[in-house]
Amino acid sequence: MEAVKTSEKTTLQVKRFKPSENPTTNFFTEERGLKAWLTTVDHKKIGLMYLGAVAFFFALAGFLAIALRTELWTPAKTFIEADTYNKLFTLHGAMMVFFVLVPSIPAALGNFILPMQLGAKDVAFPRLNLASFYIYLIGAVFTFIALFMGGFDTGWTFYTPYSSDGDSATVIWVTLGVFILGFSSILTSTNFMTTIHKLRAPGITWDKLPLNIWALYATSIIQILATPVLAITILLLSLENIMDIGIFDPAKGGDPVLYQHFFWFYSHPAVYIMIVPGFGIISEVITTFSKKTIFGYWAIALSSLAIAFIGFLVWGHHMFTSGQSPVATTIFSFLTFLVGIPTGIKIFNWVATLYKGSIDMKTPMLYVFIFLFLFSIGGFTGIMLGALSVNIHLHDTYYVVAHFHYVMMGGTLMALLAGLHYWWPKMTGKMYNETLGKVAATLIFIGFNMTFLPQFVMGAQGMPRRYYNYIDQFTPFHQTSTVGSYVLGVAFLIILYYLVKSLMSDEKAPANPWESRGLEWQSTSPPDLHNFDHTPVVINKPYDYHRPMEEFQLGLAVEHNGHGEAHDVDVKETEQENS
Amino acid sequence: MANHSATHPAHVQHHFVDSDQQFESAKMGMWVFLVNEILFFGGLFTAYIVFRAWYPDLFTQAAQELNKLWGGVNTIVLIGSSLTVAMAIRSAQKNQKRGLELNLLFTIILACVFLVIKYFEYEHKLHLGIAPGSFWNPTPEILAELSHPKANIFFSIYYVMTGIHGLHVLVGIGLMIWLYIRARKGHFSSEYYTPVEITGLYWHLVDLIWIFLFPLLYLIE
Amino acid sequence: MSADNHTHHIATAKQLWTVGIALVILTLLTVVVSNLPIPSPLDIIVALSIALVKAFLVAAFFMGLYWDVKFNSMLLIGAVVFFILMVSVTLLDTLYRDDVVPSF
Ligand SMILES: [Cu+2]
Repeated sequence: MEAVKTSEKTTLQVKRFKPSENPTTNFFTEERGLKAWLTTVDHKKIGLMYLGAVAFFFALAGFLAIALRTELWTPAKTFIEADTYNKLFTLHGAMMVFFVLVPSIPAALGNFILPMQLGAKDVAFPRLNLASFYIYLIGAVFTFIALFMGGFDTGWTFYTPYSSDGDSATVIWVTLGVFILGFSSILTSTNFMTTIHKLRAPGITWDKLPLNIWALYATSIIQILATPVLAITILLLSLENIMDIGIFDPAKGGDPVLYQHFFWFYSHPAVYIMIVPGFGIISEVITTFSKKTIFGYWAIALSSLAIAFIGFLVWGHHMFTSGQSPVATTIFSFLTFLVGIPTGIKIFNWVATLYKGSIDMKTPMLYVFIFLFLFSIGGFTGIMLGALSVNIHLHDTYYVVAHFHYVMMGGTLMALLAGLHYWWPKMTGKMYNETLGKVAATLIFIGFNMTFLPQFVMGAQGMPRRYYNYIDQFTPFHQTSTVGSYVLGVAFLIILYYLVKSLMSDEKAPANPWESRGLEWQSTSPPDLHNFDHTPVVINKPYDYHRPMEEFQLGLAVEHNGHGEAHDVDVKETEQENS
Repeated sequence: MANHSATHPAHVQHHFVDSDQQFESAKMGMWVFLVNEILFFGGLFTAYIVFRAWYPDLFTQAAQELNKLWGGVNTIVLIGSSLTVAMAIRSAQKNQKRGLELNLLFTIILACVFLVIKYFEYEHKLHLGIAPGSFWNPTPEILAELSHPKANIFFSIYYVMTGIHGLHVLVGIGLMIWLYIRARKGHFSSEYYTPVEITGLYWHLVDLIWIFLFPLLYLIE
Repeated sequence: MSADNHTHHIATAKQLWTVGIALVILTLLTVVVSNLPIPSPLDIIVALSIALVKAFLVAAFFMGLYWDVKFNSMLLIGAVVFFILMVSVTLLDTLYRDDVVPSF
């Protein structure tokens, strides 16, 4: 046997596998046809199907946003009724949160990239992975049923008593839809955690995990701990609607504030479910395009876990004006400030990574800079909202709306776009038009700030959120915001255009267009059905840009049971050879 | 695949290196799922604790309507079923096909006994009009005992907690039947008994939840 | 190879039966204790302590955590810790409100 076990190291016989630039077979060419796609257990195909579904819901909810902004062009009615307006903003919020932001990075990009970055052939439970996608679709069907039954106007938070009296049938459908969606994210995160623990390629010790994996790991932990609480909350709410069990509904003797506790026990951590995977992408892209090792690897890795933990202790900052006890309010406010620390650690480490790097301003990197700028604004305004006295003034105003759009759209979505452009050549094997990419990124930056900066100002001046009418004083702000949303719409159409165009072009992307040291780039583009045509061996850290590329293209020369080795490996090279 | 081992046993899926990696992964995956279950029930326990802290009198008064004897019997029934599941795993590990089948069968029977007792408990209460939510309509005698204005909320909590637990028992029975059929077909051996092991873990969790439900609901004086 | 000579722990029948009987005895004990006139906070503590011991027995021996890799125990403990966090932080509100339930 070639594997010689010494006290702490395993010697592995390896050789160099340089990925071929234009493979004749890949995961697209094997298992072709609609049926193969719909029944596939391949994490890459499932990831792409998720990507398609998320893009669809993003387009839909984005279209709703533009309709809402158009309605707000004039202080009174512009073109839709007040009732419709209420239903549309509820739908926009619920869809963006539950159908787009929560699954976007983990289930779409994460599904594709995670096993590749671990050197695994698939996630630990491929069939559950496929099930999670169908469960997601079933959840969507339930929501559409609620929609066709007349829609719901509770706001995406489904607060009791809005959601427990009045038209309960639609609320039951949509909340059951969210309940079902919860199972989908539970399955994804169970899969990710197990895969990270048990399916790592030889040599990937915990200190060699890419930061994207650390981020997905932290996200999975949050999802596993928080999602079941959402599930039980939604179930109790449904029972409240079906048979008035009286736990949340004040008319039946229940406590609506208790509902808010339950809901935010999930939904505050959920904002980290949405943003932490984005942090992972930023770490990957920023190192690749500054050709420099990450600054503060452990600081970034562990701050993800710190965010995951502290994120569970601050939910009450959504309830400062709800009648919550003063003791709880004070403690929640204090803890909220603490979350700023690990997030700040990340920002500083990324900036330090840029320092003296050879920065290449490709489209993904452009999005990273947009992310750093917008997310910092979002983060700072979040700290301001966490301050008790300020919160009382700003609660339920457009200031809050602007804050969470800066964090969620300026943060998560920009990171998603960075990741999408970064991994697009790997996922599709095609290259998009760089110039158009930069044009779109610029437009997004302009459009985004045009849309949401005015909202900070009007919020601070007292414009309440979710209102259909407003006083004349706010007209210029609202109109600037509406124009900004149109710019955003155009930018997204440009992105759609050049991405679809790249799919149809014959131009093939090289295996590693960015010269990244990441393990996922050491396979062909698009990857083989089983990701690598060899079991990769990892001896360097994922961001060792000072090491030669050859050391990153090592794979097992002989059969060896090397998966999940917790210890370091010694490498014995055989003659070099291209596979 | 260049590195596809020719010595891969049939039950090992292609993306695992060996049987052990598959077993350990499945077991960890199940534990992660159990974390979910604990927090899922955790929400209910939170509601219970919040309301009990608000209305301690309500809980002492309303708990008198629950039958300690049958609650206790059911506890012992579930403990027995946990024991038989553990014995089933042991039989699988020792390649005792007969023992595995018998223990699974005992588990199914005990689980059914649990549900039957639960059914009669529910039946008795519903008969007295002690029903959840909008069906709350107690007979005058019961109403005299349950004078607390929020008595309905205790029973809402009772029905939701025991009801969701009962659903878990039902799912468990389904899983046990599936295991039994596979055991009959000889799918399990000391080399491969992963489904038995992880279903066992699930079943023990259902038992664990009941271990807390019993004193918290039935044994309040 | 290392994986093949690693064997799973097999609990003895005697161990399992001992645990089962201990659980039954503890169940009877908790019923008996509930009938004793113990003052209010103490009776809950006693009942929960017995339940915790039972839970420990089930988790350690029936679920095999005692012989298992430590990480699985960490998962269980982590779940319980976060449950306790959820309860205690919620109680910070509900126990210290000016009105019990805000009047609507
Ligand atoms: Cu929050």
